[in-house]
Amino acid sequence: MDNVAIHESWKTSFSELAPGLLLFARQWVRSGADAEDIVQEAFVKFWRRNHNIDNRALLYATVRSIALDLIRRDSRRARREAEAYSEADQAVEPQFEIANESQRLVGNAVDRLPHEQREVLVMKIWNDLTFAEIAEALGISQNTAASRYRYALAALKKDLRPQ
Amino acid sequence: MNDFSELENELKNVRPLPPSAKLFTRVEQGLANVAGADALPDKVIRPDRFRINWLSMGIALGAAAVLLIFAHIDLKHPAKSVPAVVSITPAPSVASIAPTSQFIPAGATQVVYNMRDEGLLFPSGSAQPVRRWRSQTRETLQWRNPATGASLRVSYPSEQVELIPVSGQ
Repeated sequence: MDNVAIHESWKTSFSELAPGLLLFARQWVRSGADAEDIVQEAFVKFWRRNHNIDNRALLYATVRSIALDLIRRDSRRARREAEAYSEADQAVEPQFEIANESQRLVGNAVDRLPHEQREVLVMKIWNDLTFAEIAEALGISQNTAASRYRYALAALKKDLRPQ
Repeated sequence: MNDFSELENELKNVRPLPPSAKLFTRVEQGLANVAGADALPDKVIRPDRFRINWLSMGIALGAAAVLLIFAHIDLKHPAKSVPAVVSITPAPSVASIAPTSQFIPAGATQVVYNMRDEGLLFPSGSAQPVRRWRSQTRETLQWRNPATGASLRVSYPSEQVELIPVSGQ
């Protein structure tokens, strides 16, 4: 990759990864514009350093790092995001393409998940990461990642299909 | 299939929002502006392989330095140690020129463990009496090869008879 600026392969990779990356970034910010800022900075840095695009754990760790740094840099933003988290069922902007009422309920249920569970769920369902990749990106064990995923699914099932 | 497969499929049917066209333009500009991007603050967690490389490089350099130090000592060891040994060893000049296979006397001991007075007697053809003493000893002779440090020890019993003249009164 001699000159990434004229290299067109990034568009292919970015087109495939961007929706999942944006959804992942939205775990920390409630604004789509902020999520795009995070993804842009993370992807440019990742690509510029010639990292292997298949190293998704590193890519998602980069997104997470930049998102957390963004929150730390702006305390007012952090307070605002914290308030948004406390009102998780009142998402500022939608995160999903809602086609029907059922999907709207699913999206809302995902929003109500505890953050650590939602984070793993997003990486697994909408980014197709393995538990090994999730564990590496989040700095947790694979067992922990798998457990959080199961807890998330159980919570969603209970929320969407109460018996 | 697990208990959540239906739910997982339902979740996957909900698609995340696509990125805006503006985001593609911004990423393209960011990639094009490589020089400017270098000035961005480095907040990205470095990949493990980079950390390992630096760590490995440091360990390798340390090991190389230790090897060089030992190699330096080993190279100088023969040149310095040989004259030092020769100068401080009060070895006899014979030893220094002796071939490595030659042993030199290192000591001799004689232990008398029995002495008996056997009385007076007249030796044949003598008019003067003599007292005969018989002594039993063990003699030990030692040789040492200064070149190799090997030693040779010979020990044997011996018996000695002495005739001491007795002066008359």
